[in-house]
Amino acid sequence: MQVEDAGKVDSVEMKMLLDALPKGSVSDPSAQRLAHFISSISNNKVPVSSLSRIWTLGSLQARVTAGYFAYWLRSRFSDAEEKDRLKREAHLAAALKLFGTMGYLRGAVMKIGQMLANLPEVVPEEFAEVLSALHFEAPPMHYSLVREVFLDEFDREPEEMFASFDQQAFAAASLGQVHRARLHSGEEVAVKIQYPGIARTIKADLRNLRLLLQPLCLAIDWQDTLAKLADIERMLLMETDYAQEAVFGKLARSTFTASDRVVVPQVYVEFSTKRVLTTEYLQGCHLDEYLAGNPAQAERDHFTHLLTVATYRLYYRLHWLPADPHPGNFIFMADGRLGIIDFGCTLALSDEDWIFSNEAIQAALDRDLPGLNRSIAKACRFDDPDDMEPDHLDVIRQGFYWFMEPWQQEGIFDFGDRDFFLRGINNVIEATRKGYTRSVPMTIWSNRFTFGGRAFCYKLKGRCEFRKIFLQEWQHQ
Amino acid sequence: MRISEQAKIETRARILDKAAEIFTLKGFEDTTTRDIALAAGLATGTLFNYFPSKETLAMSMIAEAFREGSTDFLRRRNGKEDLAEELFLFIASGLRRLRPLRPFLGPVLERSLSPFPRKNICQEGETARLGHLDAVQKIIAGHGFTEAPDYVAMTMYWSLYLGILAFWTNDESPNQEESQSLIDYSIRMFVQVISGDVPDKGEVHAG
Repeated sequence: MQVEDAGKVDSVEMKMLLDALPKGSVSDPSAQRLAHFISSISNNKVPVSSLSRIWTLGSLQARVTAGYFAYWLRSRFSDAEEKDRLKREAHLAAALKLFGTMGYLRGAVMKIGQMLANLPEVVPEEFAEVLSALHFEAPPMHYSLVREVFLDEFDREPEEMFASFDQQAFAAASLGQVHRARLHSGEEVAVKIQYPGIARTIKADLRNLRLLLQPLCLAIDWQDTLAKLADIERMLLMETDYAQEAVFGKLARSTFTASDRVVVPQVYVEFSTKRVLTTEYLQGCHLDEYLAGNPAQAERDHFTHLLTVATYRLYYRLHWLPADPHPGNFIFMADGRLGIIDFGCTLALSDEDWIFSNEAIQAALDRDLPGLNRSIAKACRFDDPDDMEPDHLDVIRQGFYWFMEPWQQEGIFDFGDRDFFLRGINNVIEATRKGYTRSVPMTIWSNRFTFGGRAFCYKLKGRCEFRKIFLQEWQHQ
Repeated sequence: MRISEQAKIETRARILDKAAEIFTLKGFEDTTTRDIALAAGLATGTLFNYFPSKETLAMSMIAEAFREGSTDFLRRRNGKEDLAEELFLFIASGLRRLRPLRPFLGPVLERSLSPFPRKNICQEGETARLGHLDAVQKIIAGHGFTEAPDYVAMTMYWSLYLGILAFWTNDESPNQEESQSLIDYSIRMFVQVISGDVPDKGEVHAG
């Protein structure tokens, strides 16, 4: 439905948009042309946008996101012929229209857009905020829909299965929502229910994203982008299988003892299927609520210690990357234990990836520069470090050194140190700006694991004896 | 000898049972009334005493499923649903009862419920349609709409519902879960349209 034409875009909004858009240094110093281009394609509004989480290109932030996206794509063809450029712009316009049709990716794309819009002055707090919001969003389900899922999965209504079942969800989960319930045997449980048909939407979203990125198909890293998208799709589809998550949950639970003070909730298999996952309910709060209580430093350190033990236990014993260290997946329990509740996005490393991952760490620990360079080249999909531009190698290596800092420091490491976190962000920004993004798909998850975990600890302002923990977990693997 | 009412009811039920079996096996189009009569142990002529046509026969099954679905809906309704949720429950309860008929439903619905003008109106189909729309009007009225929604709203609803049925009969996803998502989205959209909510521009979701 055409509700306003391009010429009537609110002038205040347009000014904000212009301010926010990146400026091309030569061809379009004020980004006027780009802003006009975006506004001219962004006015097709879906008439019922509030019905779920439908997002349209009509909103300012969406335009900024789209604008950055367009700018980024264009910059890849800055030296192309004018005719070629026009062709690509037409392609881009069509692709951007697709942008608004994406279902579950929208939230994630918006957050990336917000961060891009702040790139020149991105601050650690925003970075941490954006990271924690980067996940798929399913629309909320009303109780009648939940009941239909139950009838299909168990042939029974929730009330028939549980002694009590809270009709209102208490939390959004990846790809669904979570309800509290009580078993007939008395246990309090959390029941995660998946929004119906989500796998199809994920496939459609990623298909759209590939189309959206089509203008890049001739760029050198196109195959790399495709490989990564394929890996993302694989992981997301795996996340739709709650039976798989139950297996991960049970394995993880068996990895910790009471003295670890880390709790993975018990899975109730008889109340779980591929679409419904019932686990023990852990009483406690999430990061924001925990921080609102202004906890003492010793307490923050305690939880940072537990988080580090938990994640590196999973890494060394099970060869897993808990690739979604989202704050919603951790529970601060009143008795000082840390709960880990979501294993949907867990990457179980192949033997090859496991060995490769440790080679790089070992080379850094041994200060074996040639070995580290070889690992970096391999991670960036080069046969040899000499095939990389020196600056490329250097930027990526700096990032890896940053990653390794806590491993190399004896005693307490302060993850709340703003300068430390900022250096990590700046490295990511530098690598992105310079187009040093080619890498093996595993790095998507290892980066998410690292940055997600560190953003969490940064928000927590926590410290721990990282090196000691890592050595312990490494020795007991 | 007069056939007792009880015997008539039993024969009718037997015909419906056998017809469902054969429709599922051979498809609606390829099944003849003769096949059904044979399976039910009747002369074809006798079958026509019960059902004047194959369409009526099939539509009777559908109408029965609609009725059972409505009963389920009334039993399952807890009174706390908002309009969109209640409509969803109504549709979902009906589809659950229709599910055993799904393998042969498409052509029957196309012939009997088509919104386009037809020469022969299937009376069973028309009754089922009116019954369904009446229930929908009651649900809508129960949510504070003082007047029955006019033909525009009901035409929109019926088009939406037929679209859902069409999608559902072709839905290959497990338990037709994609149809559930479709119903959820389209009913929310319908409710928003008839309640006249002004669409926002997406900003509220931008955070």
